[in-house]
Amino acid sequence: MATTTDTDGRTDGEPQAVDAEDDQPAANVGWRYTVKQVRRDPTALAGLAIIGVATLVAAVAFLDQLVLPLFGVEQYAIAQAVWVSPNAEVASQLLPPAMTTNVFGEGTWAHPLGTDDRGRDILARLFYGTRIAISVGVVATTISLVFGMIVGSVAGYYGGRIDDVLMRAVETLYAIPFLVLVIVFMVAFGRNLTFAMIGVGIANIPTFARLIRSRVLSVREEDYIEAARAAGVRDRNIIFRHVIPNSFAPVLVQATLQIGLAILIVAGLSFLGFGAQPPTPSWGQMLSQSRDYMLPDPWFSIWPGLAILITVVGFNLLGDGLRDALDPRINN
Amino acid sequence: MGRAQYTIRRILQAIPVLLGVVTITYFLMEAMPGDPVSIMLGPSPSAQQAAAIRAKYGLDQPLWLRYLNYLWDVVQLDLGTSLYYEVPVTQKIMERLPVTVLLLVSSFAFAIATSIPLGIISAQRRNKPTDHVARIVALLGVSTPSFWIGLVLIILFSYQVNWFPATNLVLPWAPLEEVGVDSRADVILKSLHHLVLPTLSLGTLQMAALTRIERSSMLEVLGEEYVKLARAYGVKESTILRKHAFRNAQLPLITLLGLQLTSAIGGAVLTETVFSINGMGTLIITAINNQDFALVVGTTLVLGLVFVVGVILTDLSYAYIDPRVTFEEAD
Repeated sequence: MATTTDTDGRTDGEPQAVDAEDDQPAANVGWRYTVKQVRRDPTALAGLAIIGVATLVAAVAFLDQLVLPLFGVEQYAIAQAVWVSPNAEVASQLLPPAMTTNVFGEGTWAHPLGTDDRGRDILARLFYGTRIAISVGVVATTISLVFGMIVGSVAGYYGGRIDDVLMRAVETLYAIPFLVLVIVFMVAFGRNLTFAMIGVGIANIPTFARLIRSRVLSVREEDYIEAARAAGVRDRNIIFRHVIPNSFAPVLVQATLQIGLAILIVAGLSFLGFGAQPPTPSWGQMLSQSRDYMLPDPWFSIWPGLAILITVVGFNLLGDGLRDALDPRINN
Repeated sequence: MGRAQYTIRRILQAIPVLLGVVTITYFLMEAMPGDPVSIMLGPSPSAQQAAAIRAKYGLDQPLWLRYLNYLWDVVQLDLGTSLYYEVPVTQKIMERLPVTVLLLVSSFAFAIATSIPLGIISAQRRNKPTDHVARIVALLGVSTPSFWIGLVLIILFSYQVNWFPATNLVLPWAPLEEVGVDSRADVILKSLHHLVLPTLSLGTLQMAALTRIERSSMLEVLGEEYVKLARAYGVKESTILRKHAFRNAQLPLITLLGLQLTSAIGGAVLTETVFSINGMGTLIITAINNQDFALVVGTTLVLGLVFVVGVILTDLSYAYIDPRVTFEEAD
């Protein structure tokens, strides 16, 4: 790892570390290396493709639901122009998917996946539910990443008492079952999506704090850190310019996997009624509505779960692919 | 340091964590909007009634004093009185905890029993069709919401073909006349039958996560020098697996087992909701929906305790699996 800081051209004039233990290929960190590796990895590419499509759908939904209404355009204008608004009650209730029949009627191609308990198109609602899943995953993970990074690097770098106090706090947070912590948090501050994201973000801090701390502990003893310290570089700069960039690969892998996890948790929260509030379409909430109709219209329960499954598979594939691509031990 | 000493130290270390759990939950609940008194007495209670209730439950005292009082009560194993059920919180928890523990134990038993063979086969036949199938199963398992698995299982196995019941979980310790059978064995059998779907629903995620770790840790061990040496000596592959690789590969699995408890407890809340099981999960949801302060804090504390005990147990089991662990560095 001696030459790692060179990759991004950010050596900042500190002395080159001695080339002891140079058993690893040079320069295998940094985002440029990551992109190169990912291009060669079919698993990661498959994940990226799924995430790309989901993000695109989410972006359109975001525009249509939240951004355009700010400029005086009717909500769901895009959806209506192309097809059908996710909140419009356009057909009879609980229709099955096209080409199938149930007690409520016969499926039509106008509503390929059928309709929900209020005659709204399920496919349209699934599309618009993507926004919540993706934004929740990304925002929650960003929160946990930023705070986990701060806590973990400070604890690992300074050690001693600071480390003890911070890690005990993190351990405490970890000891409260995840879902319970988020629910209690939401009851205290607000039963809506914003607090669901913040809650999941906070509950996930321990994962990143521990990961970064362990990286810091191993990086701290490296010669080039020693050298930087001897050259009078300030602690904060050492942490942000050397320690954190050197933890790039495992953090990226973990963050990708955590986005998938956050999507699962928020779906669970919405299922229990702690999440996006109706009529905003969200996958977890659709599943919760479908529970009353599992016997007469089982398809209603199937689709939202499949949507969650496919999206989370995307993040897990990318995470796994990144891990394989970035972990030199597996490369041999 | 001996085992006993280590055990005691780990238990002592858990105390500040549990104190933290109570503190976080207590103050989060204090921040909760809404007045428990109005929930008990309806929207417009008389001032006198309200004052009486406040005095009875100590709600008229300042926050810090209430907090300290609560801590003192907790030390004496008194978690207060549930406003909603109007019984001591400990009584309600003692009623519900065994149900959730049963669910957790059966899910983990299922997960361990399936993941270890699956992970080993997967590692042994790396990049062969069996491996691919096992990896896809594991990938789908960690990507599927557990409560949705529950819903799908109910649709398939309760509604389409009536093989397994979806509600009314029978507990193995339920009284005979309540279940309507003649012997304890019948009750247990009936209970197992009821447990199949909830166990699959909750256990799939654990199974998948454990399979992945088992596979990668097995692969790592099979690449170690001592395994290569054994191979060079002509030791049979099955013997290598059984005698040399297996034990060493289980350490990461055990670590994960403890940590998986937190997601499993969260999953239990959802699974209990899907299958209408009266466990800790549905208890905490009821408590939250009724702003039952003492019950929420009490349940969270006990669930935190379950997690801490689980982690301590996994830490201790290290020693029995790997004699090299000296406990010295385990901090």
